[in-house]
Amino acid sequence: MTDLLEVVFSATFLITVIRASTPLLFATLGGLISDLGGALNVALEGMMLIAALTAVVVSVYAPWYVGVVAGMGAGAALGAIMALFHLRYKADVILVGFAVNILAAGGTVFALSLATGGDKGTSINLQSKAIPSIDIPAFEGIPVLNFFTGHSALSWLAALSVAGIWYFLYRTPRGMWLRGVGEYPAAPEAAGIGVNAVRAWSLVASGALAGLGGAQLAMFNYIGFTRDMTAGRGFIALGAVLLGARHPVGAMLAALLFGLFEALSIVMPGIFSWIPGELVQTIPFVVTLLALILFSYRTQRAERTLS
Amino acid sequence: MTDPILKATGITRIYPGGTVANDGVNLTVRPGEVHAVVGENGAGKSTLMKVLFGLEKPDAGSLTVNGQKVDFTGPKDAIEAGIGMVFQHFSLVPSFSVYENVVLGSEPAKGISFDRAKAIATVRELSQKFRLTVDPLPAVRRLPVGQQQRVEILKALYRDAQILILDEPTAVLAPQEVEELFTAIRALTAQGRTVIFIAHKLPEVLEISDRITVMRGGKTVGEVETKDVDESSLAAMMVGREVSLRVDRAATTGERALEVKNLRLVAGNGVTLADDLTLNVHHGEILGLVGVEGNGQAELLEAIAGLRPVAGGSLTLQGTPLDELTVLERRDRGLASIPEDRIAQGLATGASVAENLAATRLDDPRFVRRGILNLKGIRDNAVALIDRFSIRVGGPDVDVGTLSGGNMQKVVVARELSEQPQILLVNQPTRGVDLGATQFIWKSITDARDGGAAVLLSSADLQELLALSDRLVVFYRGRIVAAFVNHAELTSETLGAYMLGIETQTPEAMAGAMR
Repeated sequence: MTDLLEVVFSATFLITVIRASTPLLFATLGGLISDLGGALNVALEGMMLIAALTAVVVSVYAPWYVGVVAGMGAGAALGAIMALFHLRYKADVILVGFAVNILAAGGTVFALSLATGGDKGTSINLQSKAIPSIDIPAFEGIPVLNFFTGHSALSWLAALSVAGIWYFLYRTPRGMWLRGVGEYPAAPEAAGIGVNAVRAWSLVASGALAGLGGAQLAMFNYIGFTRDMTAGRGFIALGAVLLGARHPVGAMLAALLFGLFEALSIVMPGIFSWIPGELVQTIPFVVTLLALILFSYRTQRAERTLS
Repeated sequence: MTDPILKATGITRIYPGGTVANDGVNLTVRPGEVHAVVGENGAGKSTLMKVLFGLEKPDAGSLTVNGQKVDFTGPKDAIEAGIGMVFQHFSLVPSFSVYENVVLGSEPAKGISFDRAKAIATVRELSQKFRLTVDPLPAVRRLPVGQQQRVEILKALYRDAQILILDEPTAVLAPQEVEELFTAIRALTAQGRTVIFIAHKLPEVLEISDRITVMRGGKTVGEVETKDVDESSLAAMMVGREVSLRVDRAATTGERALEVKNLRLVAGNGVTLADDLTLNVHHGEILGLVGVEGNGQAELLEAIAGLRPVAGGSLTLQGTPLDELTVLERRDRGLASIPEDRIAQGLATGASVAENLAATRLDDPRFVRRGILNLKGIRDNAVALIDRFSIRVGGPDVDVGTLSGGNMQKVVVARELSEQPQILLVNQPTRGVDLGATQFIWKSITDARDGGAAVLLSSADLQELLALSDRLVVFYRGRIVAAFVNHAELTSETLGAYMLGIETQTPEAMAGAMR
């Protein structure tokens, strides 16, 4: 047990937590934006997957940041496609989302085998690049300060995004429009706001954020693409949106919580060899389930005290 | 005579289905007046207002504002021309504060940020100037309906509306709130704004308006000065014939039919909805349940109908306790119910008129024989009822969902009253129903009463309650706070004071009206 505590309170473990949380946080923020706009984006999973592959393949031929931007662009493009089918052709947003997920699951394997010349499992024979970590040598070895070194550049971007999205949602007129559109579209519509335009942009932004998450996953957490490498993170993100009370700071805390358990599932099998690794890996999912039950219980109680 | 601020000439609007909603409608509104537009449902009022606000494009006709010809392509153009509209269904974001709702869509900004301080100050200023008292800070979902309506009016004024269209603004208000709205309307016109007031409650129209345009069947049938008309002449113009909305009181009252004793009702989440309800209803009388919506009247009706569990106390129908009986068993004992929401609760809108009329009596051998539907019996029943209740419909096989509100309601009434009920529960029988159908539905309810039914009537329309009820009980926060035997001097103002909890009745006075 002391071994576990030692590991958990080390700087390396914290870095693992941040690393595991970053893709989730991007996806959660993406889910948050579209959910607040009233178009629940269940395609986060597929968007991350396609963005991850896009980022990997592009980074073979271009600098790492071009790969990241390409991943983000792929996510945004998928968001635009969802907006087109949902808003222009009036398809159900959940169905469109699942279509993207199914397309991603099969499409990425197909595209991967084209890109690698036949490998349908991983991109191991592609020379893809990694996102650099930001190391601050002065902080090395100093307690507390050493927590701030060695993170992915995208982790810092994710933290900035939390602040930026908070400011956008609660301090700018456009953020107010987005929240209004999601909560009661008739009101912004009567005020002359283009409800569909707001929703379309929210899906594009949602896709772009999920895309960043995918890029982080395949260019930092792992180097290279593996089939189905998102492993349900897009769906956990949807849970994290609710767990975070549909607020950007809440979203960050929820993503960190899931990241913590993912990190635990990485270190625990090394310490407790009698616990099967597979069991530890189920922890984030069990936590998601428990968290959602707790969350809905809390909402019900809040409603009760309100009325 | 001043030049009109708004003039619509020969407005014609034909919907894709071929329905002529407006047929050469004329409307002339002078600056600074309150101009009422009255007419039955389907007379074309709403279409005309949508044309004025740019939501519908007329197929013919022209519109001038301040003498300038205008051609609206959307509400934005209308707003720019100085026209504001307050719909019956508010368009407010519930969790947003009052000031956020007012400025939504044209927010004051400081750089890229929303300038809250300025928004709050502007809303305060507007609300003082036009005597629309409302605190800018709380979320609108915490406000009563009357205040939400003020927020809607402020929204229009924030966009500098010179002409304000109010679509049936009093439909959702309690009498005291109506008075406050009228005060605000007078403050608006005193400051040179013009108000177009859509309504079908004639006493209110006569009180607030300067001039009235009457519409019927998509046409303008007249424009009159309010001082030259009274309620009955206006009603005759609207309907096209003399209408009498007078109802005879019950001649005699029979035996006790339903006893409600110390009834307590609790919502699924543990909140008490009604407590200590005690009342009796007799055969051959109509008991009016008065109260602002959400004070327990609807819940009492649901409990009697068997749609809501009872948490305490008892319900007794002609000596037998109701609590143990299923909905079907209650109906077998002669309980009939005209529910509040005809679309959600009263009818299956996707099914035909004939199917709806037979749906509650599938154990009747006329409709079902050996488990097989008797289509001919169902159809014959429908043909007979359509005739008896003069339902305007193409035939018994037409989907109920395609009927007008008044005719849908008649289908519900026909089904529930085709056989004489012992107990009749009625909730909002004429909401969204025009004058002609209202008259018919009232007559059907009083006929059921005269046939011996004990009637419980709940309605948001106090005039309706006063017109139909023999006795009235007032609900406030889930309790009965007053009871009256209906008489000519009883007014909606008196009831309103009890409804809002401003006045309370002594137990003796209440017992006097509790037979």
